[in-house]
Amino acid sequence: MTSHLGLMALFAVFVSTVFATLMRDEPRDQLWFGSKLVAGFIGAGILIGWLLYPLPL
Amino acid sequence: MRAAAADQVEPAINKYLVAVLAWAVPGGGHLLLRRRQKGVTFLIVLTLMFATGLWLEGRIFPLAFDLSQPLVGLAAVADLGIGIPYFIAKFMGQGAGRVVAITYEYGNAFAIVAGLLNMLVVLDAWDIAEGRK
Repeated sequence: MTSHLGLMALFAVFVSTVFATLMRDEPRDQLWFGSKLVAGFIGAGILIGWLLYPLPL
Repeated sequence: MRAAAADQVEPAINKYLVAVLAWAVPGGGHLLLRRRQKGVTFLIVLTLMFATGLWLEGRIFPLAFDLSQPLVGLAAVADLGIGIPYFIAKFMGQGAGRVVAITYEYGNAFAIVAGLLNMLVVLDAWDIAEGRK
C-alpha cells in the first residue's frame, strides 16, 4: 500500500474526486469525469516516469 | 409539486459565514448552502486525505514564519487550509513528522494538497453564495 505506485494512485483518486465534484453537478457526470481524471493522472505519472528513466540521477 | 418547490426563494445566507464555515469544516459551506452531496463528498474525501498525510508520518508545518525557510511558511499556510482538522491534529500531538520515514514526503504532499484543495472548495462555496453558480 505504501509503494510509490499505490500512493500515487491513492493521491490521484483523492484529487480527482474533489475536482470532479467541484466541476460537475450530476453524480453520473462526476463519476465519468472523475474516472477520466484518475486514468489521466496515473497514465501521465507512469508515462513521465518512463520518460525520466534513462536520465542519470 | 416540483414547480412549487422550484419557485421557493432560497433564504439569503451570509457569504462571509459560508466562506468561514467552508474553510473551518471541509464541505461545511456546501452543506450550509444545501448542496448535500457535494458537501458530504468534500467532508469525507478532504478529511481522509489529510488524515492519510498524518498516517504517512508527514509533518504539520508550524505557522511561525522564518525568513530563512520561506518554503516552511508556505507549507504551513497550505496545511492551515484544511481548517479545524489542522488544529485537532495539533491538539492530539499528530503531525510531528518523522523525516527518516520512507513515506515522509508523501505524507507532506497529502496534507498540503488537502489544505490547498479545501481552499478551492471555499472559493466554490463563495461563488455559489454569490449566485454565480
